[in-house]
This record gives sequence, structure tokens and C-alpha cells, in this order.
Amino acid sequence: MTPASLSGGPEPAARAAVVSVPVGATRRAWWRTHSAQRYVFGYTLLAPAALYVLLLVGAPFVFSLWLAVSDANVSDPVARFIGLENFRSAWEMETFWIAFQNSVVFLVVAAIFKSVLGTSLAFLLLQQFKGKKLIRGLVVIPFTLPIAISVLSWKWMYDSQFSVINWALSRAGLIGGYGSPDWPIWLGQPHLALAACIAVNVWRTFPFSAIVLLAGFTAVPLEVLDAAKVDGCTFMQRFRHVVVPMIFPILMIGFLFDTVFTLSDLSVVYLLTQGGPGNASKILPVLAYQVGIQAGNLGRGAAIALFLVPLLFPALFLVLRNLKRREW
Amino acid sequence: MSDPRSAQTAPATFNRRKFLTVTGAGVAGGSLVAMLDARQAPAQIKGTTLRILQWSHFIPAYDAWFDKFAKEWGDQNGVKVRVDHIPHLELPARMAAEFAAGAGHDIIHNGSSILTRLYYKSLLDISDIYGQIGKKYGGWIPAARSLVEVEGRQYGLPIYYILLPMLWRKDLFEQAGLQPPDTWELARLAARTLKPKGHPTGIQFSQCADANLNWRSLLFSFGGAEADPSGETILVDSKETREALRFAKAIFDEGMTPEVFSWDDASDNRFLASGVGCWIHDAISAYRTTEDTNPPVFKNTFIAMEPAGPGGKRVSVSAANVWMIWKFAKNQPAAKEFLVHLLDNDREGMVQSRGYNMPYLNDGYKKPMPVIGTDPKMQILQDFPKIVAFYGYPGPFTTPIQEVVNLFVLPDMFTRAARGQAIEDVMKWGAGEYHRIFAKHKRA
Amino acid sequence: MTGVVQAVAPPRTKRQKELRRHLLVYAGLAPFVLIAVFPIYWMLITAFKQEPDLYRMDNIPFWFNLPPTLKNFEILFYQTNYGAWIVNTMTISAWVALITLLTAVPAGYALARLRLPGAENIGITIFLTYLVPAIILFLPLSRVIATLGLQDSWWALVVVYPTFTVPFCTWLMMGFFKTVPMEMEEAARVDGCGQLGALVRVVLPVSLPGVLTSVIFAFTLSMQDFLYGLAFVSPGDQKPVPVGVPTELIRGDVFFWGSLMGAALLVGLPVAILYNFFLDRFIQGITGGVVK
Repeated sequence: MTPASLSGGPEPAARAAVVSVPVGATRRAWWRTHSAQRYVFGYTLLAPAALYVLLLVGAPFVFSLWLAVSDANVSDPVARFIGLENFRSAWEMETFWIAFQNSVVFLVVAAIFKSVLGTSLAFLLLQQFKGKKLIRGLVVIPFTLPIAISVLSWKWMYDSQFSVINWALSRAGLIGGYGSPDWPIWLGQPHLALAACIAVNVWRTFPFSAIVLLAGFTAVPLEVLDAAKVDGCTFMQRFRHVVVPMIFPILMIGFLFDTVFTLSDLSVVYLLTQGGPGNASKILPVLAYQVGIQAGNLGRGAAIALFLVPLLFPALFLVLRNLKRREW
Repeated sequence: MSDPRSAQTAPATFNRRKFLTVTGAGVAGGSLVAMLDARQAPAQIKGTTLRILQWSHFIPAYDAWFDKFAKEWGDQNGVKVRVDHIPHLELPARMAAEFAAGAGHDIIHNGSSILTRLYYKSLLDISDIYGQIGKKYGGWIPAARSLVEVEGRQYGLPIYYILLPMLWRKDLFEQAGLQPPDTWELARLAARTLKPKGHPTGIQFSQCADANLNWRSLLFSFGGAEADPSGETILVDSKETREALRFAKAIFDEGMTPEVFSWDDASDNRFLASGVGCWIHDAISAYRTTEDTNPPVFKNTFIAMEPAGPGGKRVSVSAANVWMIWKFAKNQPAAKEFLVHLLDNDREGMVQSRGYNMPYLNDGYKKPMPVIGTDPKMQILQDFPKIVAFYGYPGPFTTPIQEVVNLFVLPDMFTRAARGQAIEDVMKWGAGEYHRIFAKHKRA
Repeated sequence: MTGVVQAVAPPRTKRQKELRRHLLVYAGLAPFVLIAVFPIYWMLITAFKQEPDLYRMDNIPFWFNLPPTLKNFEILFYQTNYGAWIVNTMTISAWVALITLLTAVPAGYALARLRLPGAENIGITIFLTYLVPAIILFLPLSRVIATLGLQDSWWALVVVYPTFTVPFCTWLMMGFFKTVPMEMEEAARVDGCGQLGALVRVVLPVSLPGVLTSVIFAFTLSMQDFLYGLAFVSPGDQKPVPVGVPTELIRGDVFFWGSLMGAALLVGLPVAILYNFFLDRFIQGITGGVVK
């Protein structure tokens, strides 16, 4: 690669002396090129974030991969390699499959409700009307309360005896009184229990969806919309062909991160039902917590938690595609 | 008051301590205090720091008392004591984190989930103070040993346990001409009779700590067992378990509403306090809640002995509390000193917990016991130590039992039965889970 | 919507039209407000109720059946370290937001704009880190925290929370930066700005809404954690609110409902107001950027 190797002149030394100036010049020029500067600048900007997550997530993650293939547990500080044994134990567990299924149901149902509610709310908040600030402020409160505490309020609202929801339904004549067969036991009937947990997740995060969308909508320059309007596009056409493509990256990201948050969050289920009644609302993170932490089988707990990752692959696939298609 | 550590001397800056209940603090008596003062801590712990992780006690006044108690001990011995409180359900997570970090508190509290056997390799062998304290106070009650012992050595110190007796409404029972719930059968009869009158009963058919305790009390009183005394052989698949499941199904159908499927540890407290429940099987915190929120109901709420099973057997599964010291603890000498000091003051602890803490030491049962011995309604609690048992009965609280408890296998069996699954199917599922878990622990 | 109205109805006065539009919007918003706000209202009223009042379902539970009380707040402030928890929560969140801002904004820009070789893979790797559940990370992280000597200090959480805010906000910023027209930046370059100059003087101001959104999210996400706080911080005066409140206001089988709910609202409501304020800035930023 050196200039000398490329040349075959009889006077290499002299030649080198002559050529060295232009070579040096091109080198300096390489450093000065636009793209080189951009690279240095770019990687410098990227470094802090990349290092942070690499050190504090990457390294611990590798450690937990090791946990998953070892017999690590709290009773013995020294762990041995046992291959895929922990995954096999998970597969053998009936509860694991119930939790797996519940996780999928939780994710899909919650996503549907959140996108419907979030989109509608974002559209409404785009309108100009009096009291907008107040309403916007009210609607985002669920998202700003610490989840660990607001779930406890829901627990109180779902109480089997003092549920205010049931009180209202009962006074409205929709259900019977306390003790009657149609008095819903929110956290005690298998399907209701899972639904109740999903409802809390939706309640808490649809303002989030709405805000992300709103941010996206507002980022669309008004001129573009006006131009489309002038061109005679209907509302739906404008939405589909102008707004959606422009906000697509933000939309995607909001959606994906919410998916991850929903899937890996254990606090709602853990605090409401611990996964009961009879595993009806058990989801993977809760099971992993119970097996891995509470019962001390670190390895098996890690294996169960790692099953979350394949569940997230479809999401990852979408991101990849999105990125490829939107290369500038 | 002869006790120099009275609440009045507490520094005024500690607002929370103003809430300390001082009533009855003098019960401890002068002799005990004199004995305590005579005890001199070794000089080597002077100038050190002791860190204690304790649960948030169900009786807040106890925490206030304890924090002050620990601080005063520290002041006397030149040790800086710090006490941290976290909820009992989260203790295992915190413990796992300290284990992984190899650093943390010196003393760790375990409540309901007793993890001595799980962690014993990382825990300090404290057989010496275990023996010493036992000798001083008439020996430990029989059930205490299995909580802390691994291969003949003790890795923890039983501190106190919590009883879950029958709490019943005498007025309702008398109006309906019912006998007190002295057997499970009578309790069932009462529920069947009183449910149509708007007073059903309830036991948690759900995944919570009380469900683990209550259904075990019922199962063991029916003659059932989890594992043999060696802890190796699973005994859950038995005629008695089937009977207990059938009974639970019947009492659910006749005497409960489906709300029990949603209950947590606190739901039955409210159920009693609201005046609806005819009886519940729960810790006396439910009794205290009722006292505070519904005095008329409280007046008619009585405490009964653990109900007897069909064979007349009574087993009361209680929530154990055990303290241990990490092997990596920086201040082991002070930790040991403090534990000894704490058990020297067992009686006062019982007073401060309003009769909630039950002693593990035989001398603690000299009648009248503090608080529960002087309250006529609570006196019956003094008769429980003979029938107290913990998880895994009659075997010890082993690591596989620990997992069985954390995965709520037994409450799930009762839930399945109550929901109408055939008893044989329930048995097959439950025994299968026990075997799967036991096998895994053997393999490891 | 206005288009439809115009098409069916004969020309109306502007005022009527406005009124009608307002009514439609309000009707549409009503269910959302109800869903979002009812639990909040319920928390608010519970926070001021006497304990026995909670257990009376024979009367209307939406209002006081016994006189309201401040006792629940007294418990919060005099029997727990609530004051310290609020300070801790706010300080932790502010630090986390700052760290996030300093790392995620430049990273998002680099990934979205600079056509770096390997940018795609780096971006995906950063995203992948967000996929790793906290429940897997908290044990290894507890060792990291112990090594750093931060165990049982709220600084531990300042170190740990960016593990989820940084990936999140990096991607959020990537999205925002991609919506900024490339031409704007190029124009700035032509005008003689350097790369950094173009970023600071042109791209950042236009993306201000995105930056603010990131800050808000970093701030809120920091208040949503429970597991890390529980595992890393146990001293009573070092806890953040979400850990301190359930820790000291649930006593085994007794819940201090009123105090719990009061505690949630006291931290949640100011943040909601802050939020609303930021949302305003954010819309100003947008219109400002476009009009100019």
C-alpha cells in the first residue's frame, strides 16, 4: 500500500522524495475532507451514549447470559456451566407457557387500545379550542404519576368489596349489589384479572402515545399541509400521504419503545395480582422475578427473562426495515 | 418508669418518634433492665458502624420503638447504628442484590420467606449465640430450629413469629345459635348459616402470603403434610390433602363469595372491619384494624384457637421472622452483640408490637404474657406455641419448599379445587409441581 | 371536519360554526378526560378522607361522608421521610435528564444525520440495550454499584437510570432530527457555519421540541422505576418517592390509602404542570422555527 510498492522506478529513493510531497498532501487532504471531518465529529458525538450503554447494559447483559447457562443460585456463590438446562426447565413448566401466552395477549391488546386512544386524543388536541391547555394538562397526569403508587390506587379501585367502579355500576343499575353473582371481582376472575392489568397499562400510557404523536404532527410544517389542502386532498389523503410518511420515524420509535416497556414492566401485574388468580394474569417478568429472585434460582430466572427477547424480535425486525428504507 | 430509655428522652428532632406508643413500656420491669445494664459489650466494637435491614413492621409504633432502641444501644456501646426498613415482600430482592454485590447490611431480616437454607453458604454461623440465648431463656420452642439450621449449625436467629388465629363475630354466631368455630367443621357450618344473612366468610384463594399460610394451617390440621421430617420425601399426595381440598371447595361454595379469588393479605382485614365477614383466619393486625376503624364490630370480634381438623388435630402455620448476619458483613461482632441484646429485650418488643410479635423462647410464654396475657380476648393466643408450625411441615423449610411457596403451588391447588376442577386432576397437577421443583433442586 | 360542515350546511355565521366545532371537540374529549381524570379525582378525595370513611359504601363514595381531614398528610410529613423523598426524586430526575441530554442528543444527531459507517448497527445496538429487562440487569448492576461505592445512596440511581433513558431518548432524537429538512442545515453550511455551528445554531433550535420532549421523558421515566430503587437504596432518607411510599405506607396487611394517594399526587401533579408548560414551549418552538 505504500507509494513505493506501487511504483517500479529505478531510483526509488529519489522518486519517493519527489512523490512524498503530493502523498503527504493527499493525506492531509484526507484528514481535511468533508467526510473525514464528519466521521470524527460524528463518532465523538456518538461516543458518550454508546459507551454508557455498553458499559452499564452490555457488560451486565453478558453476565446474565452467563447466568442463564449456569446453575447460578443464591445458595452457592460459585456457578457451573450447565448448557441449556435452565431453558429446558422453563419449557417443562406449565406456568411458563401460561405466562408466555399472557405476555403476548397483554402486549397485543394493550397496543391496540393505546394506538386507538392515543391517535384519537392526538387529533383532538391538534384542534384549536378554548381550555385546551387545561385539558391537555389533565390528560397527561396518569403518565406523570409514579407507576408503583398509581397502581396501588387502582388496586383500591378494583377492591372486591369497596370498588368504586362497582359502586357506580351498581347504582346505575348495570350490576347487582355487593355479593350478587354479577358483582365483578376485577382481580379475582381469570379473564377480568388480566384485563384489569391491561387497563391500568393502557390508562397510564395512552397519554404517552398521544404526546409522541402530537410531537410528530406538530413537526409537520404547516405549509406542506396547506399546499396539500390547496391541491384538493381530502383529510384522509393528507393524513395518509403527507402526514404519515413525515412522522413515520417518530411513530415507529414511540411504538417500539412502548412495546418494550409494556412487555418488560412487572410492576402493574406484580402489585395488582402477583400473577393470580391461579396464574391467570402471570406474565414472564413476574414469573422470572418469582423463580429467579424470590426463590433464588438466578440461572433459571435469567433464562425465563431472556425469553422476552424472542418476543421482541418482530419489533426489532420492524425497526431494521424502517431504517433501511429511510436511509438518506 | 424505671426504663432509662423512655420515649420522653428521645431527641425532639425525630418527629416520627413522637408517635411512639409508650403505654405499657414499663411492663418490662426493673429486674430485666438491671440485668441489661450489667451486660457489658466488648470494647472492640467501639467506633464501628452497624447496619440493619429490617422489614416495615405491621405495627408502625414498633418500628419507631425499634429505631430508638437500636440507637440507644449504639450510643451506649459507641456504635453508630443505622436501621433501614423495606416491605417484607421485597426483602428477597434486596437480599439477592446484596448477595450479588457482596456488600450491604450487616444484619438482614427475613419475614414469611425464610431464606436461611438458600443463603447459608453466605451467612455467618451463629450457633454460639443461638445456643447461648436458648440456654438463658429456657430453650427455643421446637418449631424454631428448622428455620435456621443447616447440617446441625445455626445460620440465623429466630426473632419472633406472627400468629394467624380465627377472628370471629360472637354476636352473629350467637344470634344464629351457632357454636364458636372451634373446629373447621363448625366454622364451615357457621359460614353456611350466615352467608344467606349477608355474612359470608373468606380465605384468600389467590397468590399472596396469607393464602400460603392459611391453606397450610387447614391442610396440616386435616392431617396432611408437605414433606417428611428429613425434608426429602414429598408427602403432599395423600388422602388427607384430598379431604382438605374437598373441604375447601365445600366451604367456598357454601360460605364464600367469588371475591376471595382477588384477595390479598389486606382484603380480609377490611372484610372483617367492614362488618361483613362472620369470621376470618388472619393475623391480629386485622383485629387492630377493626379496633381503629369500626369500634362496634370490634366489640363483638373475638379470637379463637386454631380450629381442629376432622381428627382433632390443630396446626397453626405462622409467619416466621428470622434475622441473620452476612458472612461478608463488615461488623460481625457488633451484629452478634446487638442480636443478643435484642433477644434480651424480647418482652418489651412484644409490648411495643401490641402483642403482635410472638416469642420463640420458652421463657417468653410465662403467663401472663405481655399485652395478650392481660387482654381477656387475646389470652387464648398464649396457648398457640404448642401447635405452631412453619412451611414444609412436618419437614423443615428447605430450598425446594421455598420455591413451592414463592410459586404459590399450594394456594393454586386450593384455587383450582374451588373453581371446580376435579380433585384428582388438582392432585395430579399439584403433586407434579412439587415433584418437578424437588427434582430440580436435587439435580442442581 | 370543518370541510364537512361547510359542505352540508348553508353558510353560517363564523360564530355558530366555531361553537359547533367546539362542541364536537369537547364531546370527543370528554371520554378521554373522564378515563384519565377519574382515578386522579378518586385519589385526591381519598387523600383527604378519614379512614373509616373509606369503608362506608352505603353512602356516595365520591364525596365526604365524614368531615375531610389532613391527617393523611400529617402522617406523610411527620411520620415518614416524605420531604426528603421528594427532594431525592427531583434531584435524581434532574441529574438523569441532564446526563441523558448530554449523551442522547448528540448521539441521535450523529446517527440520524452524519451518514457514519456502521451508524445503522450502532443504532440497533443502542436499541437492543433497551430490550434487556431491568429484572435481568439489576443483579449484575448491584455489583457495579457496590464497586463504585454508591450502594445505599441515591447517586446509585443517577448512574443506573440513564441505562433506560439514554437508548430511549437517542431514538426519539433520531426521529426528530430526521424530520428536519436537510436543506436547512446545508444552507447554514453555505453561510459559513461549521458542523458544530450548524448543529447548534440551526438544527438544535428547530429540534427544540424534540429536545424538550426528551428531557420530559427522561424526567418521567426516572420516576417510574421501582425495582432498581428497591434493590440499591434502602436508607429511609435516601429513597425516591416511588420506593419510599410503598415501603413505609404499606404495613404488611395494612394499607395507608389516604397517605399513599396523597403522596402520589404531590409528586405527580407538579410534574404534570411542568409537562404542560414544556408542551407549550414545544409548540412555540415549532411555529417559531417554521415561520422564521
